[in-house]
Amino acid sequence: MKTIRFTVNGNEVAVSSPPTKPLLDVLREELDLTGSKECCGKGECGSCTVMINGSSVCSCLVLVGQVENETVITAEGVGLAQNMDVLQQAFIDEGATQCGYCTPGFIVSAKSFLNQIEHVPTEEEVKTALGGNLCRCTGYTKIIKAVQSAAKLSITQQGVKN
Amino acid sequence: MKVSEATLVSPSTLDECLLLLNDQKHSVQLLAGGTDAVVRMKEGVWNPDTWINIKNLDALRYIEEVNHEIHIGALTSHTDLVESKLINERADVLAQAAKEIGAIQLQNMGTIGGNIATASPAGDTIPALFVLDAKIELRSLTDTRLIPIREIFTGPGRTVKKSDEIITKIIIRSQDEDEIGIFEKLGPRKAQSISIVNVAISLKMGEKPRECLEGKIAFGSVAPTIIRATKCEYMLKLNPLFDDVIHDIASAAWKEVMPISDVRASAKYRRNMASSLLERGLYRLMKRWEEQ
Repeated sequence: MKTIRFTVNGNEVAVSSPPTKPLLDVLREELDLTGSKECCGKGECGSCTVMINGSSVCSCLVLVGQVENETVITAEGVGLAQNMDVLQQAFIDEGATQCGYCTPGFIVSAKSFLNQIEHVPTEEEVKTALGGNLCRCTGYTKIIKAVQSAAKLSITQQGVKN
Repeated sequence: MKVSEATLVSPSTLDECLLLLNDQKHSVQLLAGGTDAVVRMKEGVWNPDTWINIKNLDALRYIEEVNHEIHIGALTSHTDLVESKLINERADVLAQAAKEIGAIQLQNMGTIGGNIATASPAGDTIPALFVLDAKIELRSLTDTRLIPIREIFTGPGRTVKKSDEIITKIIIRSQDEDEIGIFEKLGPRKAQSISIVNVAISLKMGEKPRECLEGKIAFGSVAPTIIRATKCEYMLKLNPLFDDVIHDIASAAWKEVMPISDVRASAKYRRNMASSLLERGLYRLMKRWEEQ
């Protein structure tokens, strides 16, 4: 056991854990952040996606000892019911979620992608950005539309602010 | 031993890391991006006493031009390669190959050094490194050696790297204005797939239309390790690369590859696809060359 300190969704945390435990398990079991899900456990499905220092990664393949002093953002950090992100609202409005298991991973991947661009992405661009996330329910069309409409909305909102 | 009983140490300098690797009393395993290593840990295939976490050893994460070469730190991520202006301008084939790896998450995590150390016959950056004449720097506490990429791999998952060594640097040729490269891959789907066949091509073009002075072709996934298609390379220089010549060269590739049948594809399909990918790659390269 070792005490490992890092930042999750803006809060500094110190967890006591074997350093070889996957970050995903620490998030879910120690920190009660159960948004990120385990599905394949080997980096193929994306349902465990979180951001580390702003980059999207599969938290099932990161050991908690590797994130010491780093900044982690999970789907909960993107937004919760009371302070929902534009992207999450767009998923609801477009009906881009069904069983919901893959949704937190999609939210984090899409958020990380939208953080990097300042335009409304084409369908092809969204497909590339979300290629590492699998969904068995929605057929993807609504997910792609949700990401595009979130991009549109944030650009309009930014325009209003400026 | 259970995974949870293994220790994990994070050296803050390369020297510290070399000392840890030199410790012969315990079994150790390097851990960088984790996209392969952690999967093998979970499967129980890799079960060391100590994991040496080098993910944040930033001294090994850089891309720089030195004389007429490009030096790439072993911990440079695939995303770093995709986004590097230098790699896109001077080693385009490597940028394209890095972009074809897994999906964004795996490109963010995986490193070029890890891709070499894992030695998958399907590793996407490796054919690109073959056509760019890569040299791999291996360091131990007592020694530094530079190995040409064609001598690194001894079989699927095996390299000449000793247990006390770490890959520190990859040195590639910087392409001139008259050199062009392309990476073509066939996988079961576009993102997140292991190559069924892949090919990297690098050509040095002459002044006459479609005249090729020299060319290198490397196939992945069609032999126990990456292979150079030497007969096809020879044919590149014989005639200007007009469409019928490209077709003939691609047909010859059928005989150069030695694929196996496995869960992803049959040997015959791989042979056919090796030809098709080479044909498509050369065709696209010529289009691009003429439009430049």
